[in-house]
Amino acid sequence: MPREIVPGIHWIYEAGPDRTESWDLADRNPDWYEPGREAYVPQCAYLVDGGEETLLFDTLSPASTEEILTAIDELVGERGLDYLAVSHPDVPHAGNTLAILEEHPETTLVAPGYGNDHELYHLDDGIHVTEGDEIDLGDRVVEFHEATFLDAPVSVWMTERETETLFPVDWMGFIHLDEEKLAFVDELDGEFDPSRLVEFHGRVLFWYQYIDVEKTNAEIDRLVEKFDPEIVAPAHGLVIREDATDYMETMKDVTRTIDGQERIGTLG
Amino acid sequence: MTVPVTPTVEWINQCYDHEGRHEHVSLYLLRAPEGTVLVDSGSFYHREEITAAVEEATGGDGPDAIVLSHSDYPHAANVSPLGGDTEDVELVASSASPAQQGLPDARKCDIGGSLTIQGREFSFIDPPLADRSHTTWIYDHGDGVLFTADGFGNYHDPGQCEYLSGDFADATPAEAVYEYHRDNLVWLRYVAPEKVERTLDDIFAEFDVRAVAPIHGNPIEAADLDVYRDRLGDAMCRIADEYAVA
Repeated sequence: MPREIVPGIHWIYEAGPDRTESWDLADRNPDWYEPGREAYVPQCAYLVDGGEETLLFDTLSPASTEEILTAIDELVGERGLDYLAVSHPDVPHAGNTLAILEEHPETTLVAPGYGNDHELYHLDDGIHVTEGDEIDLGDRVVEFHEATFLDAPVSVWMTERETETLFPVDWMGFIHLDEEKLAFVDELDGEFDPSRLVEFHGRVLFWYQYIDVEKTNAEIDRLVEKFDPEIVAPAHGLVIREDATDYMETMKDVTRTIDGQERIGTLG
Repeated sequence: MTVPVTPTVEWINQCYDHEGRHEHVSLYLLRAPEGTVLVDSGSFYHREEITAAVEEATGGDGPDAIVLSHSDYPHAANVSPLGGDTEDVELVASSASPAQQGLPDARKCDIGGSLTIQGREFSFIDPPLADRSHTTWIYDHGDGVLFTADGFGNYHDPGQCEYLSGDFADATPAEAVYEYHRDNLVWLRYVAPEKVERTLDDIFAEFDVRAVAPIHGNPIEAADLDVYRDRLGDAMCRIADEYAVA
């Protein structure tokens, strides 16, 4: 069941597998973890309803084909889906692209204009968007941006201007407990523990262990200044709707922490 | 048509044209003691050529096992056409969540661990050069081949599609190594090259690497490994130096 973040922007959530055992959480027992609980790194898709037109950003994974098709039907109904924007061709983000386009032949595919392997991903058709390109949906306008911290070179980030929401895809993801599914960060009990962000970035954006800390953190400063968002909606974490730029600032500590410790582990 | 890399490892090379420059999107066939093993399955873009090449190389039998470096489409798009969705073909993948990666029937290999597949021992290595987090480098203990997935690639000119590194005038050209990594491992703009070098040193110290087999480049023979690594190190420095935070 999707959750509405603000009027017109809906959060569609897929839990994925429980990471408790494979990440040794019960043994390491980090501060944010409660023994006996399950823990998840989700896949998130977002549907923007601009009143006149609708746009889905990412597709969830092939394990959730029926769920994403049902969510689309629930949110757009007879109006149909006007745009499907794929942030990048990674399977958990784009794995239902063909299924959605088959179910919704009226939909225009929107793909990143970056990278050079589009034909290898079935992304040579449709609209290719780069920095500053916009789609006017009526009451909502989405704008696309070069993806700063990314995995696949064929990638793009998105913002929604009216609500000042940043969709940073793989960046700013984090792990959460089972009962925190679809909760906003400000709804969590207690103070948010930045080690949740470290757990994610130390494994999923594994290359954080190989980077120049000062340069990367200067980039984070640039992102805060460039976007200054009210809401951050990551693909692999919970939605941040209060103090969003403070959480972006926290990512500089994440960079330093990963640099200063042994390898956290792999995704497995 | 396959290209021999070592006595029991053959290269099924396929190319993708970037306005005159080529990028390999390949896979490899190993003749293990108990059967044939494919490393990766190639792109749907080359499906006809790949299935025909595998059919010919295996005498019509197809592979006995497929081992995937990761689930990215250029690597994993032909699992089904090559029989990887049947009980006759063993499918191995490093993903922690195969269902989320579109590979619900895969046998999971743990990064950092080893498996015997068709009588051949493989180790699964945490890669310092990759894009997706669930990528593994695969070391073949039989012939000492290190399969590096997206790392160690290069672009090449038409006519060089079947070259091994030793077929170039002076091993794999430095500019081709730089351009490939600049375009495909975008995070290298933030890299501290010495950190990657240390991890590569550890890998090459632990494993007796006699050839490197990238999916997106020409295979690198033992005699050229030091030269390639020097050029890769220079490429990382150049990529980092060329990107300044605005």
